[in-house]
Amino acid sequence: MNIPIIALKKINKIFPLEIGGEQQVLFNITFTVNAGEFIAIMGPSGSGKSTCMNIIGALDSASNGTYELYGKDITTMTPDELATIRNEYIGFVFQNFNLLPKRNILDNVMLPLMYRGISVQDRIRRSREMLKLVGLEHFETYLPTQLSGGMKQRVAIARALSGNPKLILADEPTGSLDSKMGNEILSFFKKLNKDLGITIIMITHEFEIAQYARRVIHIYDGRITFDGPIPKNETVLLKSEQEHKK
Amino acid sequence: MTLGDILKESWLSISGNKLRSFLTVLGIIIGVMAVVIMVAVGETVQKSITDQFSSLGTNTIVIRAGAARRGGVRSGNRQTLTITDAEQIQKLPDVMSITPAQSGSAQVIYGNKNWSTLMLGTYPDYTAIQDIEMDKGNFFDMNAVKVAATYAVIGPDTARELALPDNPVGEIIRIQNMPFVIIGVMKARGDSAFGSQDDMIIIPITTLKKRLQGSPFPDSVSMIALKIYQDADNAVVTDQIGTLLRQRHRLKDGDEDDFQITDMKQIMETMDTVTGYLKLLLIAIAAVSLLVGSIGIMNMMLVSVVERTREIGVRKAVGAKEKVIIIQFLSESVLISFIGSMFGLVLGVGLAQGVGRFILKYDVPFSIWPVILSVSVAVVVGLASGVVPAIKAAKLNPIDSLRYE
Repeated sequence: MNIPIIALKKINKIFPLEIGGEQQVLFNITFTVNAGEFIAIMGPSGSGKSTCMNIIGALDSASNGTYELYGKDITTMTPDELATIRNEYIGFVFQNFNLLPKRNILDNVMLPLMYRGISVQDRIRRSREMLKLVGLEHFETYLPTQLSGGMKQRVAIARALSGNPKLILADEPTGSLDSKMGNEILSFFKKLNKDLGITIIMITHEFEIAQYARRVIHIYDGRITFDGPIPKNETVLLKSEQEHKK
Repeated sequence: MTLGDILKESWLSISGNKLRSFLTVLGIIIGVMAVVIMVAVGETVQKSITDQFSSLGTNTIVIRAGAARRGGVRSGNRQTLTITDAEQIQKLPDVMSITPAQSGSAQVIYGNKNWSTLMLGTYPDYTAIQDIEMDKGNFFDMNAVKVAATYAVIGPDTARELALPDNPVGEIIRIQNMPFVIIGVMKARGDSAFGSQDDMIIIPITTLKKRLQGSPFPDSVSMIALKIYQDADNAVVTDQIGTLLRQRHRLKDGDEDDFQITDMKQIMETMDTVTGYLKLLLIAIAAVSLLVGSIGIMNMMLVSVVERTREIGVRKAVGAKEKVIIIQFLSESVLISFIGSMFGLVLGVGLAQGVGRFILKYDVPFSIWPVILSVSVAVVVGLASGVVPAIKAAKLNPIDSLRYE
């Protein structure tokens, strides 16, 4: 269980500002993630948690510091090498689903497999398995616009899983869903983590949602203020914020 | 990503925006159609002119009398050529057949019909030089020339105008009140570059000069036409004739020629160059509309990149490399351009052939060039108009694209 798959060391992220100058949004972010963990990254809006997630997901690069994914230093990789890393190791689930609106459900789920160069038959077979896993096997010819929010998110999960990733990154996965649908999705994540051993890192600003995870990393003002097992209540996290302010 | 994937993705993107894609394709259709039609028009004009000149034969040389300058005045009507000149030129080794010729207008009467037409006095070799074939009867021979026989060979239109019987050979017509026996009728030849060839009367040159015109200079003629052997060099023969005539006319160095030599091959080459430029001009004009069409594609693709920023972000997030995004956008623009080119080609060829054959009743030459042109245009225009948007799409940062609203 204790094999680190993600190792962030002193990651800083500085954005240039349009009006001139720059703004640092992450300060010395350092933590490791072991295979099979279910982590919630928490923090208020603008705390830098999404930026941190984007760096973990190889969608964005750190200004400095090192990031190793499965032992590979990806901070120095080219955009195409990062595309391969995303394709082979990571499955993304976004708050707004990010499905291709003019492609049917099956095409959407097959997308990562197409870029991996998998044969059409294997793509279809694998994608149908994933659609069955999320309970949408009868909707493969539907367009995303014909589905409810919860169904769309399940399609997004099927797409994230189709490439058989070791890691799923979910950015506010229930943000666009009602609480019933949200709980369904979170339970499904828990099941994936428990049964298939998939590592899940989920961003949320709600403590209730974070409770589905086993570990929480709290980010405030670009710095980690808490990293440990989910506390019994949110006060511990808020306290860590206060301590940082001092 | 297989070729099938690329084509499928491109087709889905194009068909996802039907009206816009149609309007973009329309630009290319009109452009290619314009080029194809202009090529056809250019080639038709070129063929028509070439046909008219080649009916005279490229190995034909015509010498006209006059054209010498005296005190800066061109005196084109001076009859400086003679039948003897023609006989001397005939001795040149490359000359195959030759005829002196004198033209004039004739008032012809048959029964109660009266017709004014062109009259030509020639040698029998005129048939060889002008490729004249006889429909009925025969052309006159050199004996008829020697004795200035009152024989006439007439064109089919003249025969019709005079209401001659079906076989007019042996009929008597009156030209300037002198009776002539019709000995032959020429086959119809249509119009040449120099007017109708079917409404004319040909008689021996001696008959024209001595009997009809009663000329004080029966030897002088207005024109000498000759045909040289196919393997002879037009320029060399033209030079030889020039030198010979200058000697015979006793022209001093510095004197201008008192004759004009027209070499059909040279004229045809000049016409070929002129029509070639005309064709290029037409294609250039049509190419402008093609350029406008290709700008339409680029515009559509650029808009498409902006509209599909999020899509590009999603594709990159799940593993699409820059190269793959470039190929996808390029294939979309090439596919649009290809569809437009094919429709433009079919419509262009169809219109050119249809209008040419059924409305203008003219045989429009079918050329392979428009086909090659259309396919090349499809690829070049597609690539050229797609490359900037494709690179723009490929260089988008995945996270910025995903956040794009």
